[in-house]
Amino acid sequence: MERRRVAITGMGLVSPFGGNLADFFQRLLQGESAVRQLRLEDPPRPLALPFVSCPGFTAEATLGKPLAGITDRFAQLGLAAAFAAWEEAGLSRQSDRENREDWGVSWGTALGGTIVYERAYQDFWLRARDRISPLSVIIGMNNATNAHLSIQLGLGGISTTATVACASSAIAIGEAFRRIRRGETPLILTGGSEAPQAYGVLRAWEALRVLADGDETRAATACRPFSRDRDGLVLGEGGAALVLEDWEHALARGARIQGEVIGYGTSSDHFHLVRPEVSGQVRALRAALADARLEPEDIDYINAHGTATLEGDPVEIEALRQVFGDRAQGLAVSGTKSMHGHPLGAAGAIEAIVSVLALREQALPPTAHLVDIDPDCVGVDHLTSARRQAPLRTALSNSFAFGGSNAVLVFRAAAG
Amino acid sequence: MDSIDLIREFLQDRLGIGEDKIVPETPLAALGVDSLLVLEMMFAFEDHFGIKLSKNLKTPQTIGQMVSLMDRLRREQLR
Repeated sequence: MERRRVAITGMGLVSPFGGNLADFFQRLLQGESAVRQLRLEDPPRPLALPFVSCPGFTAEATLGKPLAGITDRFAQLGLAAAFAAWEEAGLSRQSDRENREDWGVSWGTALGGTIVYERAYQDFWLRARDRISPLSVIIGMNNATNAHLSIQLGLGGISTTATVACASSAIAIGEAFRRIRRGETPLILTGGSEAPQAYGVLRAWEALRVLADGDETRAATACRPFSRDRDGLVLGEGGAALVLEDWEHALARGARIQGEVIGYGTSSDHFHLVRPEVSGQVRALRAALADARLEPEDIDYINAHGTATLEGDPVEIEALRQVFGDRAQGLAVSGTKSMHGHPLGAAGAIEAIVSVLALREQALPPTAHLVDIDPDCVGVDHLTSARRQAPLRTALSNSFAFGGSNAVLVFRAAAG
Repeated sequence: MDSIDLIREFLQDRLGIGEDKIVPETPLAALGVDSLLVLEMMFAFEDHFGIKLSKNLKTPQTIGQMVSLMDRLRREQLR
């Protein structure tokens, strides 16, 4: 079967550092952490935890009143990121010039409309209201983001959202990549968004005992992937989008190509609902390399899943050691969740953007706060500070989710 | 608060529409008020005046029809 090349022609972000991609990446290179203490005062007890917010983002200012009023925060973050990516790709909101009937949206979110549902429950049980907003269903539904994007941009092709925990947007991107590669469609807007800061959601995660500790004074360094003293993950909100486009289609319309998606591998651990499993991750990594038609020595950088959980980090490093063998010692690896946190369904997309920016800028961001590497995590070249090295040709980004779903994406620099 | 005031406040808040654009003859669709927003507007009306609306009410098409409907329901409630 013909394999068409898949270009990335636009990227957009709502991050804790704002929406400017160059600034976001520069701050990652400098090891700047966006983790702060979040405090919620809801009953039955206040909750304080390290968290990554996007404080500079207001839906009304970015999206305007009608859209802001009929969307939950997760969709607002997604729409803003998607519109930014669309603009960077040189595409207008509505167009008579192109036939967009087969252009698609492939989105990812783990939790969907947490805030509207929580508000509804509070209305019923705290405020004794008899009814909730009639728009609650369409505001909260997981597919709200792709629905709005399809409407706003006039896209008539696939319109879908993947909900696969931490791998949601990696899978959304990968499935979009496959469709374009086999010639089904010339363009798919893809990415992910998440807003997990509803009180009930955060209490549920707290109960799972996987979150990092940290008070006001220590919040910034709370997420410490691969560290001997790591103690868990830091949740966050965010939105990230990429425009994936058939290479020839991009060239024909004069689009600037930012990078290329060249491989996608998936697997299921079929092992445990929370604990990751080495052989499952190995299969996904090998599948991605095979799909990209690359050997281990062809990979220049790994953006790790690296959530800083006690169990997860060593499993991922062991999987990398097994796949990359002798090459592993010199394999540059960083866990950027140390800085942008873990925005669940948006993580894959944010890390895809980080990987593409690394290749574009020929610079690798570090794992922040990594001073004392856990002996169970040695065996790769952990980046403890930013590194500029040329040439950086390829990058691989891991997303390993609760439930055992694994997704690995492979990117190549545009000049390649 | 009059029905027209409630409508103006709602449309200003949700759509940023200025007061001068909200006149009786204006079709709701022309203001960008689709069926979902009509639902929300009726919901706000129910909340504010404590009136429960029947599901079988005919959906108003203009600002004027909306005002008439709201005024009628408020009169019926007072009886």
